[in-house]
Amino acid sequence: MISNGIVNKKAHFSKSLAIGVAIFYSTFVSLTVRADNIQNFNMQSFEQIKAQYEGKPFVVSLWSIHCAPCRVELKLLGEIKKTDPDFPLVVISTDSLENREEAVEILANYDLQNIKTWMFADAFVERLRFSVDPLWHGELPRSYFFNDDHSFESHSGVLTRTQLNQRGQSSLILPNQ
Amino acid sequence: MLPTRGQAVHSMRIFPMTSKALVVIVFIASGFIAQSAVAESCANLQEQFGDKHVSVHCGKAPSAVFDTQGRLWVAFVQNKHVYVSHSDDAGKSFSSPVQVNKAPEDTEFNGENRPKIIIASGGEVLLSWTTKTSSNFTGLIRFTRSVDGGMSFDAPRTINDDELDTGHRFDSLFLTDSGNLYLTWIDKRDMEKSLEQGNEYPGAAIYYTVSKNLGMSFGPNHRVAHNSCECCRIAMAPHGDDKVAILWRQIYNKQIRDHALAILSPEGEITDIKRATVDDWYINACPHHGPSMVQAKQEKQYHMAWFSAGDLHKGIYYGRYDLAKAESSQIIEVDATPGAGHPSLAQYGDELLLVWKGFNGVSTQLQLMRSRNGGESWASTETLLSTEQASDHPLLISNDAGIYLSWSTEEYGYVFKELSHDK
Repeated sequence: MISNGIVNKKAHFSKSLAIGVAIFYSTFVSLTVRADNIQNFNMQSFEQIKAQYEGKPFVVSLWSIHCAPCRVELKLLGEIKKTDPDFPLVVISTDSLENREEAVEILANYDLQNIKTWMFADAFVERLRFSVDPLWHGELPRSYFFNDDHSFESHSGVLTRTQLNQRGQSSLILPNQ
Repeated sequence: MLPTRGQAVHSMRIFPMTSKALVVIVFIASGFIAQSAVAESCANLQEQFGDKHVSVHCGKAPSAVFDTQGRLWVAFVQNKHVYVSHSDDAGKSFSSPVQVNKAPEDTEFNGENRPKIIIASGGEVLLSWTTKTSSNFTGLIRFTRSVDGGMSFDAPRTINDDELDTGHRFDSLFLTDSGNLYLTWIDKRDMEKSLEQGNEYPGAAIYYTVSKNLGMSFGPNHRVAHNSCECCRIAMAPHGDDKVAILWRQIYNKQIRDHALAILSPEGEITDIKRATVDDWYINACPHHGPSMVQAKQEKQYHMAWFSAGDLHKGIYYGRYDLAKAESSQIIEVDATPGAGHPSLAQYGDELLLVWKGFNGVSTQLQLMRSRNGGESWASTETLLSTEQASDHPLLISNDAGIYLSWSTEEYGYVFKELSHDK
């Protein structure tokens, strides 16, 4: 028969082991969770993004994992970002955070996994869409060209390189292809 | 002053909302909520029963249907399973959900993709849904049925017969009076083939199949049309006893995404393919915004409601399509407010109802418009409910007793409510 002492020791050991495993696991998990560059997009996010680009032009591209034409646009954006890593690009996924892994996988297909992007962090998507643009009906891809003074033009449908070049002429310097 | 709810229809104007109107609406809405007191938010249920609680109030993208006995059936998705639950008191209380697919599947659940449920007159419970197979828009059209009153279900079957790992999604299911079960969907087999041959192929295609034995077996897959939009639900309505009419978003001239209508026969014969809406929506994008359609009382005519952001029409529209003339008439702008979307139509007797969602920057409004004369004129818009939380597309269903709202909301749970018989 095993004495109480040994049992306690064993229990103590397995408890420490459990804590160790738990710490390791939580560190590992939190590391994997943070391994991507996706930020939560909430009601304040768009104002914060605009503040970051104060006095500067930028391009916004909204996409979803459910949207086939969006892949064409992501490909173009990935190429542009590769040629010009400083291109002021804001990429926002309108999918819920539950689809995070899938979104990361897709972004990686277009070499966009290393830039900071956003993902809708509220199931009440109408509200988040409104915070970007009250006139947007939710069709995807949707994009915006913000000028220095943050006046903007919107576009529904896949962007082309020509469009990016033309629309960007006034304030954006686009890499040539 | 606002017209009272019982007032006769006299115009098709849509009044802008005044603050007085808002007060009246809030009053109506609060009465509405009190009447549907049983609807309960999932958050409340999960607090009581735990996170894994399966319920019509927690499930995603529900569909509802009545059987011939007046029992309400709801199919929904939760944790990679389709569930079915029924109600004998028109949605006040529900049976314990029965799991339909034993093996988990990546069942699609969103506004445009939801499980479909129909109960045949013999009590057979018929279900279809789309199962996602990758993150590249591939999927399978799945079907199963229960012949023991929804207690158990056959193992689900794949209905698209091409065995290709490509897109087969956005299923719709319809049972005709004669007992033909139609299943239609958006299919990418032709796109794949075209691309392999180095040819471009805008959008996808519409396919369908028919079962003449309530889903025991299905006939071959038939193509309805090439170059459909790839991301909008398909609307179905009867055409005679045997056939169906379908309405879907189609790509015209490679760039315009308006709607087409066709008549499908059980033998695979496709007739009357015509453009049903002319909105000129030039867009190379996913609207995720399918139409709604019901058969009109007039022979070979269909009530349609749809969304467009085209050059000619921007917002939610209603129109009546005439098969003989192959044109739409009585087209009205229902709601052009930014944020308005996802219309659903239903008919009961002479009453035609249209619901949709509006958004004012803070809250979603569930909007309702009534016509008492088959869409010739409409009463002004009523706001039935308002929520500052997430909600699904609203759906209307009808049976021989009236028209009902089926709406999944975060705040109120699953809302089921009779809307006809204007009180």
